[in-house]
Amino acid sequence: MRFGGLTCVDKLNAYVGENELVGMIGPNGAGKTTVFNIVTGVYDPTEGDVKFLGTSVVSFKPYQVAGLGISRTFQNIRLFPSLSVRDNIRVSFVKSIKAGFFDSILQFGRFKKEEKEFDEKINELLEIFGLLDVADEYAKSLPYGEQRKVEIVRALATSPKLLLLDEPAAGMNPTEKFELMNLIKMVKEKFKISILLIEHDMKVVMGVCERIFVLDYGEKIAEGLPEEIRKNPKVIEAYLGETHA
Amino acid sequence: MNSKILFLSSLILIFFLNLFTEHIDPYYYTILIYIGINIILATSLNLINGYTGQFSLGHAGFMAIGGYLSIAVSTYFAPFFMGTFGTELFGQTISFIIVLLLGGIAAAIAGIVVGVPSLRLKGDYLAITTLGFAEIIRVIIQSLEVVGASQGFRGAYIFDNGVKAAQIPVDMANVPYVFYSVPKYTNFFWTFTFVAIIIYFIHNLINSTYGRGFLAVKDDEVAAESMGVNTTKFKVIAFVSGAFFAGIAGALYGHFNLYLNPEDFNFLKSVEIVVMVILGGMGSMVGVIIAAVILTILPELLRSVSEYRMIIYSLLLIIMMLTRPQGLFGVSLRRKKLKVKS
Repeated sequence: MRFGGLTCVDKLNAYVGENELVGMIGPNGAGKTTVFNIVTGVYDPTEGDVKFLGTSVVSFKPYQVAGLGISRTFQNIRLFPSLSVRDNIRVSFVKSIKAGFFDSILQFGRFKKEEKEFDEKINELLEIFGLLDVADEYAKSLPYGEQRKVEIVRALATSPKLLLLDEPAAGMNPTEKFELMNLIKMVKEKFKISILLIEHDMKVVMGVCERIFVLDYGEKIAEGLPEEIRKNPKVIEAYLGETHA
Repeated sequence: MNSKILFLSSLILIFFLNLFTEHIDPYYYTILIYIGINIILATSLNLINGYTGQFSLGHAGFMAIGGYLSIAVSTYFAPFFMGTFGTELFGQTISFIIVLLLGGIAAAIAGIVVGVPSLRLKGDYLAITTLGFAEIIRVIIQSLEVVGASQGFRGAYIFDNGVKAAQIPVDMANVPYVFYSVPKYTNFFWTFTFVAIIIYFIHNLINSTYGRGFLAVKDDEVAAESMGVNTTKFKVIAFVSGAFFAGIAGALYGHFNLYLNPEDFNFLKSVEIVVMVILGGMGSMVGVIIAAVILTILPELLRSVSEYRMIIYSLLLIIMMLTRPQGLFGVSLRRKKLKVKS
């Protein structure tokens, strides 16, 4: 991926397996979020290919990528501020509406049935994540940790096969981080999906990821199990700088 | 189900109220009709500007297309309509529905033509583009002889030799003709039936899962797109349905005023509708309706101090912006609604 003369992500070769929880780490500006933006169709890569379940998604628009089953959260929370928690999640069902525009206006049987179906699914999700109490609050009025949670639920509501989490632990206190780790593990087990996680907090990354790859200046410098990564001198160098001693 | 019953009962109410309105003073009756037309215009623009967050400044353009097309059809094709449906109330009703829908559809098509390329723009740029479009429409109408050009359109002359025109051509002063003026179809019943329809339409749309797509586009386009919402499609749908109802409003206006002038649809008309939406509170249906009512009555009340009318008008807007930037019935109303639900 190049922006003008700046190469942001270069020769990255990575994969996420089925029902696998992969971490992507790297110092600031390494290109992690850019990778997300390429995968989700926000940017078209200048070279290379992104394949999802055998389909190349390079030329896809973000909503088409979401339709295929890739969903994401954002580094800086992007909930819909004027909508309630419930309605934030409801937006994720827009793409799977079968009743069309005119059905929604005339509200006949087909529409009602579908709407009820969505309501049930939303309630189910809210219950799993313990958000039923705040379902009718404005999403923006929730505490930070809860907002993160709502964002993850919203992404899950699109019934993805691959979930991209962009720094979900950013700005969280240790208790919230601990809860988040459990939440991520639970999501993976319960929904049987693959997760790609960007995170700076090593505790979280080492705690939940099954495999990690490290990005630095847009290039993959290491890949492996959490234990291997922790000891990898290249990774330490990227994070702490070169050791001259 | 509730909204359906409410809708049907309001139609019945409108039907009975219509029986009374025949005895109202014509001046008040006119204001009543204008209130209805302005509610249609304001709520349809609210779908674009308020719910979907796209700043359109071209609503008068769509209104002009709908208005001109419908009265042109109902005058130029008057012999056809009379021949096919008769001149009884039933025939008139059918003819009216046809020309209303034609006006709406023409405006909707214009909405697609303008919307598809320009909705990629955001904020001010979109506002300027739509404003430019509305002015183009007005200028085109101003030079279209077939609808009376800058002199306005009152009806069609159909000459015995088959020529049809909006004015008597100089060289045909001696040819016998029949003049078909714009039929006065618009009444209380039709105006407020369409008010009820558009309120029902937008209410149902916005409160469905489908309608959440519009609100999501307004709140955060990037996030909406990532959740699988085709934002372009939603913007175009909002734009086109808004244009459709503006076209209907134009057709109602034309068949009430019986005369249209391009100047009726200038920049100020668009601004007037935008002001209704902003004053009422972007995305609040009740607020926008109330604002439409107030802003229709206010100029009439201020008629005695007409020199200061614009001053009072703009002062009111400035005070509004300072004290309630979210509009009369902005977010606060919706917050209340949410509380009731829980």
